[in-house]
Amino acid sequence: MKHHPKTKTHFLPKRTAIIIVALLAAVGLMSFELTGKHDSGKIIVVKDSVGSVAAFRQVYKVLMSPRCMNCHPAGDIPLQGDDNHLHTMSPRRGPDGTGMYAMKCSNCHQPANTPGLHTPPGNPKWHLPPADMKMVFQGRTPHELAKQIMDPDRNGHKSMDQLIAHASDTLVTGAWHPGAGRTLPPMSYKAFKKAWITWLTKGAYAPPGK
Amino acid sequence: MISLNINQKDYQVDADPDMPLLWAIRDLAGLTGTKFGCGVAQCGACVVHLNGEAVRSCVTKVSRAAGQKIVTIEGLSQNNDHRLQIAWNEANVPQCGYCHSGQIMSAAVLLRENPNPTDEDIDMAMSGNICRCGTYLRIRKAIHLAAEMQRKESSSR
Amino acid sequence: MSAQNISRRNFIRSSGLAGAALYLGFYLPAAAKESQIVSGNAAENGGIELNAWIRIGADGKVTLTDHRAEMGQGSYQSVPQIIAEELEVNMADVNIIFGQGSQTKYGSQITGGSSTISSSYKKLLQLSATARQMLITAAAAKWAVPASECYAESGSVIHKPSGKKFHYGELVADASKLEPPKDVVLKKRSEYKIIGKPMHRRDTPLKTNGTAIFGIDKRVDGMLFATVERNPRLRGKVKSFDDTGARKVPGVKHVFKVQMPVFNTIREGVAVVATSTWAALKGRRALKIEWDDTGFEHVNTPDIYKKHEELLKTQEGLSLSKQGDPDAVLNGASKKIDVIYQTPYEAHAAMEPLNCAAWYQVDKIEVWGPIQAPDWVQGDLAKQYKLKPEQVTVNMTFLGGGFGRKAFLDYPAEAVIISKEINAPVLVVWTREDDITQGPFRAGMSYRFEGAIENDGIAAIKVRAAGQNIEHWNGPDRGKPNDSISEGFLKPYLKNIKNVSIADVPYEMPVPNMWWRSVYASTNGFAYESFMDEMAHAAGADPLEFRRKYLQGDESCQALIDKLEEVSGWKSREPNGGYGVSITECFGSNVGQVVKVSKSDSRRLNIDHVWAVMDCGWYVNPDIIRAQVEGSIVMALGAATTHEITFKDGMVEQKNFYAYKMPRINDIPPIEVHIMENTSDATGVGEPGLPPFSAALTNAIFDLTGKRIRKLPFDLGAVV
Repeated sequence: MKHHPKTKTHFLPKRTAIIIVALLAAVGLMSFELTGKHDSGKIIVVKDSVGSVAAFRQVYKVLMSPRCMNCHPAGDIPLQGDDNHLHTMSPRRGPDGTGMYAMKCSNCHQPANTPGLHTPPGNPKWHLPPADMKMVFQGRTPHELAKQIMDPDRNGHKSMDQLIAHASDTLVTGAWHPGAGRTLPPMSYKAFKKAWITWLTKGAYAPPGK
Repeated sequence: MISLNINQKDYQVDADPDMPLLWAIRDLAGLTGTKFGCGVAQCGACVVHLNGEAVRSCVTKVSRAAGQKIVTIEGLSQNNDHRLQIAWNEANVPQCGYCHSGQIMSAAVLLRENPNPTDEDIDMAMSGNICRCGTYLRIRKAIHLAAEMQRKESSSR
Repeated sequence: MSAQNISRRNFIRSSGLAGAALYLGFYLPAAAKESQIVSGNAAENGGIELNAWIRIGADGKVTLTDHRAEMGQGSYQSVPQIIAEELEVNMADVNIIFGQGSQTKYGSQITGGSSTISSSYKKLLQLSATARQMLITAAAAKWAVPASECYAESGSVIHKPSGKKFHYGELVADASKLEPPKDVVLKKRSEYKIIGKPMHRRDTPLKTNGTAIFGIDKRVDGMLFATVERNPRLRGKVKSFDDTGARKVPGVKHVFKVQMPVFNTIREGVAVVATSTWAALKGRRALKIEWDDTGFEHVNTPDIYKKHEELLKTQEGLSLSKQGDPDAVLNGASKKIDVIYQTPYEAHAAMEPLNCAAWYQVDKIEVWGPIQAPDWVQGDLAKQYKLKPEQVTVNMTFLGGGFGRKAFLDYPAEAVIISKEINAPVLVVWTREDDITQGPFRAGMSYRFEGAIENDGIAAIKVRAAGQNIEHWNGPDRGKPNDSISEGFLKPYLKNIKNVSIADVPYEMPVPNMWWRSVYASTNGFAYESFMDEMAHAAGADPLEFRRKYLQGDESCQALIDKLEEVSGWKSREPNGGYGVSITECFGSNVGQVVKVSKSDSRRLNIDHVWAVMDCGWYVNPDIIRAQVEGSIVMALGAATTHEITFKDGMVEQKNFYAYKMPRINDIPPIEVHIMENTSDATGVGEPGLPPFSAALTNAIFDLTGKRIRKLPFDLGAVV
């Protein structure tokens, strides 16, 4: 069984995971939009609750789209389709998120999309979040989801760096290449990534509410 | 030419790299025990073991399987005496029989990973295999029987 | 689906071909009226080809023929199990082969109507007892002892006083020269050693190691693989096609237009023939086809049911049966029920998609395939190609399910057309999408039931059914009512209910129909037995007692109800505890089922248990019967809750299992099957377990929730 890395990034306070670095120059702005990093390599967070919440509202639309939510289900069976129905074959998450017994994700989900309609979409590391870190999206309010993503105990122990990097994960980018007949997330990947980084670097504020 | 190792035997097959493993096994290697049911990984009739995992050969490209260890129903045992095969006979599981190559190959992975499966474990492992004749209750019974045989064998060792 | 009853018109013949073996079978001469037994010599002199259910070689090897298709229902085991009993051989010692298609050899071979055992067992018992008697006579003659001192056991004849023994193989040369005896004594049921026992099926080992050969597994030297893109609107034409891309696919050898008969219509498509199934499929994907879909109606499912309802509101229909004056009683009744039940179109979706191998060679044709009616295929092809039946060889393989679809003639016909075009043997493989979308389908039905309640009982029932008539695909007579619209409804009800009328409201639609396991009973059962439940409720009666009352005078129904009550604990159930009952008749067998449902915390309706009682009279293998009832219930569960075929603009909307969803292992409730013991003749087994289930389920849901479900399929998860 694989174990999820439980490394905690040492310089991060547990709850907020924010480092504030003064914005020294405008030169880094272009790359900053897509990386969240200043040219110096450091993450620059400029607290702006209004801007951050507005960005998260965009992020939320994507995360709750079937391409993301279907693998972040409330239960242990992934979802399928634009109506988020339970996966027809009822595969289970399993301890490490890669399925159980004869129903492991990669038994059907190949390294790349299988051509044709209603065929398994593919990715070399197709899996659900593991059982000890379920990272549920289904049913979460914007407030809950934002809080959850920023909580290392519930986000897979991800640091700010890792959260930003996660936007480039092939499982995330795969949402925009979902295979024939599947709807895309409601905005371009570029727009999503920008919103994601904007949300994080403006302070990762959770929208108000429950 | 693609080199396939099926049931510990090497086959050189003249296949497109994108040919599903199913058709390479059936039409090129000539092993017809693995069945075509749906072509889109819905029914499990085509399950074979690829490095021990119960892959759906109808969506697994032959290129993924090249040089890997493939086991089909014909290679599960020498004399039709894998405990699942014995249990299938004992519980009179098959009706038309078409899906059972896949059912047994799926069940074999379950038993390897969980020698003492509950009904729920069996459902988890076998919900990817359709049986139109409706032999599901007997599949469950046979897996329990095979697990029992497995436990007896290991305790008598 | 009437099987021709030929048992009284058969000759038993034996043949001692060169003294090497004893063959025994029936022969059906054209003018035969009475059963008669003819010697093997006479058979040879007459140049008659024997059907040879039984072949005993000089080496003692016994080969028994299964003349019916093995599609899961167990003929491969149960036909030999019958023969082995009277022949006195051990099941473990016999070889079993499939009979080739031949009406003259085997009589009707259509594996349909649950008829394999019920239509064959008496003549098979007679035949095998005759063979045994001939072997005993031969042994007695060799020993010069009275035959009465000899008996047969385990493939040998034994002289009781001396203990001397001949193996059958040592006797066949002599036995084959004997005149088959006219009167043989059949065993009593109490003497059976094989019949009635839950023996393991002989085909199981073949199905656990990949050695069973299904149609799709058939290989012939030089065989090519083909697939056909057929018009998705079932009867449209090919206007034009571009095969440039298809021909570029490595392995693709031929691309051409094919036309195939579907009943009285023609279906067109484009065939791609290649060196592997995959190359053919890849080539097919590269085809560009323009269809001509003019000149016929493009159906839409909502319109079908709207039209049904309109017809049921306005038409009296063609009367199938009428007793008393239900209209008058209904007009004067104070308490009435007037409801509509609806059932969907269904595809057969056997696990083995349709396929057929064929080799057309001008003066002969050979076909191999998963075929339910090999004799029909033989006749059809002989007629089509103007050949004699003996020039057409039809080989049955194992069938990966049939359910009625594989009794249809279109796919073997298409395979022969393709073989003729390419002048080579070919295996034509249908994809799952082809299999589900191309039909023929079970017809979806709508029923209007009106009932009058008086004095806490049924005063009158008026039934009208609207839906396609399968028979209309074979004949032009549109003036007769569909005589299948009351299939499933227990006949004794009609003796106890005074005023009943049943009428067919004709409805025509250009979608081809075919038998689907239990045929109209599969849909009638839901309507009739839901209605009986509604009437019971309206009369304030216990649903099972209510049925008992209207089945009075029928001992077997009463006994069935007793058993059902006993096994399900019916009488001690909690009020509104989620119990439902339904009893139907199908191919001579009565089956009663009780379903128990409950609601779990997760709100999903749960099926806790199914009790089934099957009355099929004389039977061969109780475990096969239990398996058939279990499977029938699972298939009924799917048709009630997980799948239906719908049409949009003339095309089927469900293409594969992601949309035509099958019940899976995690959906299956515990099922308990009980078999009635009685002395009646054998009746059907493969289908009768299906019709009662859906009504038992919805009646249970009504008992628990008060919600009456009148349209199938419904979502178990959505029942509140």
